[in-house]
Amino acid sequence: MEDLTEMLKGTLEGCVLEIISREETYGYAITRRLNDLGFTDVIDGTVYTILLRLERNQLVQVTKRPSEVGPPRKFYTLNDAGRRELATFWAKWHYVSARIDKLREGGS
Amino acid sequence: MSFWETVTGSDLTRDWKAFEARAQALPGDYRAAWEQMVTHLFSYGSFTGRNLTPIADAALGLLEEASAEGQSVHEVIGDDIAGFSAALAGGAGARNYRDRWREQLNRNVARKLARLGD
Repeated sequence: MEDLTEMLKGTLEGCVLEIISREETYGYAITRRLNDLGFTDVIDGTVYTILLRLERNQLVQVTKRPSEVGPPRKFYTLNDAGRRELATFWAKWHYVSARIDKLREGGS
Repeated sequence: MSFWETVTGSDLTRDWKAFEARAQALPGDYRAAWEQMVTHLFSYGSFTGRNLTPIADAALGLLEEASAEGQSVHEVIGDDIAGFSAALAGGAGARNYRDRWREQLNRNVARKLARLGD
């Protein structure tokens, strides 16, 4: 689906955390995963700026490894602070989505 | 950083020469994007621009990785190079000229207003 940028803005960071929590991974693979999920508008640049933010906020562990093609790649894993942040993200997500569903169903 | 480097900025010249050499090795469309990024990034520079070195290094790293994957530069950073550069610079928490000017302006306005009240 296209034109999701505005709606995704606040949630993409959580999505990236979730992807990293599954297994050690790198920027390009994260973008492809999001694209495969149907977020076709997400580009490497966006993911990259999110990864920079995660790194700055010390939520991820970064390891540089040589790759078969080109320069060494940065691989990311979650640290304890990252796992806590991810849990907070899902808690907030459930809160928001439950209330939006309720609104749509006409409840109070 | 040695005292000599601090005073002369010789480390900066050396770093940027190295960046340019890396940029030259990129495909043409990537090189064009890099040049635009550098222009945008400089508006986030501190007085010497020393805060930009790690940002530029990281940005070049991304371009190198992406071009090695065989993607087009458009697939990687999209249309909004200015926005991308701002996000990169923000990622380093870079304080720049404009921040200082804004503070100065605010201070001066506050002072003038305070005097009006006399």
